[in-house]
Amino acid sequence: MRKFILALTALVFSMSVFAHGPTPQKVQESITVNIAPAKAWSVVKNFTDFNKIMKTRSFDDEIMKIKYEMLKKDGPFSDYNAYIIVKKGANDNESVIQWTARFYRIYKLNPPIPEGQDDATAVAAVKKIVKPGLVSLKKALQSK
Amino acid sequence: MINQNKKFILITLISFLLVLIYFYSTFYKENPKAYITNQGDNTVSVVDLVALEVIKTIKVGIAPLGITILNKKNLVFVGNVGTDDISIIDTRTDQIIKTIKLNTAPLSLTSNPDESKVYVTDWFKNNILIISVDEMKVIDSIEVGKTPSGIAFNEKYSYLIVTNRDANSVEVYDKNKKLIKKLPTGEHPFGVYTKGKYAYTANVYNDSITIINLEDWTTKIIKVGAHPYNVFTHQNLGFVTNTVDDSLSVIDLKISKEIKQIYTGETPENLDVHRKLNLLVVTNWGSDSISVYSLKNLKLIKEIKTGAQSRSFGEFILQ
Repeated sequence: MRKFILALTALVFSMSVFAHGPTPQKVQESITVNIAPAKAWSVVKNFTDFNKIMKTRSFDDEIMKIKYEMLKKDGPFSDYNAYIIVKKGANDNESVIQWTARFYRIYKLNPPIPEGQDDATAVAAVKKIVKPGLVSLKKALQSK
Repeated sequence: MINQNKKFILITLISFLLVLIYFYSTFYKENPKAYITNQGDNTVSVVDLVALEVIKTIKVGIAPLGITILNKKNLVFVGNVGTDDISIIDTRTDQIIKTIKLNTAPLSLTSNPDESKVYVTDWFKNNILIISVDEMKVIDSIEVGKTPSGIAFNEKYSYLIVTNRDANSVEVYDKNKKLIKKLPTGEHPFGVYTKGKYAYTANVYNDSITIINLEDWTTKIIKVGAHPYNVFTHQNLGFVTNTVDDSLSVIDLKISKEIKQIYTGETPENLDVHRKLNLLVVTNWGSDSISVYSLKNLKLIKEIKTGAQSRSFGEFILQ
């Protein structure tokens, strides 16, 4: 019971945080693969699975970073910009692939916020793109 | 005899200590500091700009974003858009001395030159709230255009300048709260900066800034990097944070042109300078850090980790 009340309090609290407008949201996830960074970068850079929903904005070979903008217009989020960066892992043959997305919820006017247009919904929707995206990227990397 | 000797040593020691305390209090001045609002973890990082490290982390309200520094009064005002309040920090102790409750989200803040008033943009109700610094409470307000975002006070003309993000305009108010000019900007103007006879707006959707001449009301548009958030000028150079390019546009103000871009951290949002130390500081929302550059050669001196989603929308360096 106590746990339940605590969870409920936390939920109400976090909802009141989400109730406010002008705050960009951030989703950042990463995976580790057993491939050298330079090799991982060559795969990440040319990975085409995202092409349906995202368009490459630019990439930088020096810092192994690729930037995307969103093509998918029906998601519950707006102003989505993201980048994927390849970093060195714990040893020479390991890389960390990190995906960072910045976006806003779709409803930008004063509260009350309509259901399904709040920050929490936007974050959940972007996580649904980022997490499986990284999984498919890992698959492609490890088949190389 | 032995006793007298002891007494003598004690007196000498005490006098020596007193002299030391005297010199310390006379000549010791605290290092310059930057105050960074971390919207993701509800804190303000206090950064020592000589040691180039975080020396304190202060818990404030939820989702701190806007900030302004009152140098003469040793105060920092921080706007928390999650709890709809303002935290006031005393820079001598770096502790919160007062929280002003508002019923609206304070997006950005600025003060007048004598630091008697702080102006706050009220994002939801299209107002500017006026806070009396001595009384530490809201004493007045000005009704303004849609979605007031950035705010700046022009010393030369005593103008209050506000960007209206969703109306693609900038408004100029005089001392008597009267709207004296409303001008179109590029699309989605967010940050605004002013110095001398000019004001500058960062137009997020147009990848440009608008320069407004406050004397003859002419405007000029300059192309910068992707999704610019804020502008700052120093001598003949203008600096613009390009949030999507992770860069800073450097503009030659004499020829009104971007002359180069320099790398920042991820998603750079806001910027300020320390004049005596010749430092330019940029907050990086994406990498939870600040980048510190030398204003002499525009080289990066150090990137310092701060807190989650560092923003500091407004003036954030104690001079």
